[in-house]
Amino acid sequence: MFDDQEIISTIEMVKNENLDVRAVTLGLNLFDCISHDLERFKKNIRTKIINHAQTLVDVCDAVGEKYGIKVVNKRISISPIALVGGCFSSDQMVDIAHELNEIAKQVHIDFIGGFSALVEKGIAPGDQALIDALPKALAGTQRLCASVNVATTRAGINMDAVLEMAKAIKKAAALSSDEDGLACAKLCVFSNIPQDMPFMAGAYLGVGVADAVINVGVSGPGVVKKAIERNLESRPDLNLGHIAEIIKKTACKVTRVGELIGREVARNLDIKFGVVDLSLAPTPTVGDSIGEIFQALGLTNIGVPGSTAALAMLNDAVKKGGAFASSHVGGLSGAFIPVSEDLNIANAADKGFLSIEKLESMTCVCSVGLDMVPIPGDITIECLAGIIADEMAIGMINSKTTATRLIPVPGKKAGDRVYFGGLLGEARIMDVPNSNLCDQFVKYGGRIPAPIHSMKN
Amino acid sequence: MKKVIVTVLGKDRPGIISLISNHLYDLDCNLENVNQMILQEQFAGFFIVAPPAGMRIETLSETLNAKAQNSGLTIHIHSIKDNETPKDNIKGETFLITTIGPDKKGLVARFSKIIARYNANIENLKAVFKGGSDPNANIMSYQVFITPEIDTAQLFEALKDKATELGLDIRIQHKNIFDAINKI
Repeated sequence: MFDDQEIISTIEMVKNENLDVRAVTLGLNLFDCISHDLERFKKNIRTKIINHAQTLVDVCDAVGEKYGIKVVNKRISISPIALVGGCFSSDQMVDIAHELNEIAKQVHIDFIGGFSALVEKGIAPGDQALIDALPKALAGTQRLCASVNVATTRAGINMDAVLEMAKAIKKAAALSSDEDGLACAKLCVFSNIPQDMPFMAGAYLGVGVADAVINVGVSGPGVVKKAIERNLESRPDLNLGHIAEIIKKTACKVTRVGELIGREVARNLDIKFGVVDLSLAPTPTVGDSIGEIFQALGLTNIGVPGSTAALAMLNDAVKKGGAFASSHVGGLSGAFIPVSEDLNIANAADKGFLSIEKLESMTCVCSVGLDMVPIPGDITIECLAGIIADEMAIGMINSKTTATRLIPVPGKKAGDRVYFGGLLGEARIMDVPNSNLCDQFVKYGGRIPAPIHSMKN
Repeated sequence: MKKVIVTVLGKDRPGIISLISNHLYDLDCNLENVNQMILQEQFAGFFIVAPPAGMRIETLSETLNAKAQNSGLTIHIHSIKDNETPKDNIKGETFLITTIGPDKKGLVARFSKIIARYNANIENLKAVFKGGSDPNANIMSYQVFITPEIDTAQLFEALKDKATELGLDIRIQHKNIFDAINKI
């Protein structure tokens, strides 16, 4: 039997600290669905996805109920469409996007990810068709997520792709102008995208993975924050080394919960279990925020001096705790700082504590990058491409995953409010200095070569 | 005689386990399992014992009670049947049913009645009532073993309805989640 404290602390995690399983993601390989005939291809992917996913939501709900821990989102990741649908035109890609959206609705999942291309070394015809299709595909669907990897440490940065993505983002924003550019909230540009990733919006099933796999994404920033506060209350003499240890232990517990639930879902569906992605990802709810962890650590707000160091410690402790808890940790695993999805971070930006430049510097040590950042709608394509290129360079040089999910909100300027709804949250548009520049740099194209690693400093 | 269970009750103080185990040793009994708990300074101990061949339960009881005569302890001895199905062979799952909220007379009686009605077995029960305004000061936690024949959904629904009626917060969670979080 457990002692009182063990029972109470476990219940508190769920009841008051927002511990949940953020997502169970069914990964499906679609390579066996390939056909030159669009209708046949669509039929094949529909049959395969529905066959595997028709009970996904019910099973997740039942397992969540059994353990008293809700599985908030049920999602599907698929093989990159630019690969399995490489023979199709841009218009046909849009058609595939709609088909995937309808399938997602039919199996009642929240998002389907994998409308993706990997173009760090060059753009093949299928990749180009997918990139061209992105604006219409994302503006015309609700549950489809897309990602494009434009850089890696080994390949360098494909600057042609960076510029293409800046154009695609602007177009997607324009096509969803009545929803504050919502289409861009479902589109990530990556450097060093992991081989296989269960977390949206960049989720896709990698090549080299089993035919079907259950991955689980766990979160719990509220649990980490409360653990820090509780310990500091009882022991005010704690130093940062001790606090890092507390974060690590808490991350370990949260990861074990995720793996337990993920494995049971996988067993019930008779599908292999893949990885746990322990990502401290917030929701726009008080008490479920990464920004609040910074305040628990003694900073006025996220974005003030000291924030990068705090984030470095947090991200590392989360990874260490996760790695100890499970032998199968994957995806992005770390701490996210998405602006509109985190009430506290959005407020910090609103009050002037967090600028886009500081946010970029923090992405050097966080799990991903410039995430869910609403920016002025009149930003030039060149400036947008410049921001993406900068973020890709951080990932490439530091051998880490970085990404951008930028939303140039049509017709709105810095300081205006945007509302995306649900998990995507709301925020004020961040100021982007010099957003009117049309510098030549990004228009030269070509590839920025991969960096040398024998002379690191 | 095969095995017996020796139950020892009394006010807690140092030396109770030592006293009983030494008396059992003097009687050539083999101690197989021991468990004890202290509730509000009252000691309760359970000793599963294999007595030597030929010893009658009455003899064991009389001798042990005589030896512990001035100890202030109450000692009961019962024999254990051999033919019971070991629990390891029974299929089922263990859930923790926890209620949090103000103390009232009859809480344990009402919840355990529902659990018994569905033929689920309470393996362990912890009830801590400290009073006051802290909601976590008044909790009951039942560790309940549920076999596949039991209609879990109906049982849980009945428990939740009762908790709502009594103004208690109830959580029903599989035991493994507590293991995952607390037993690293």
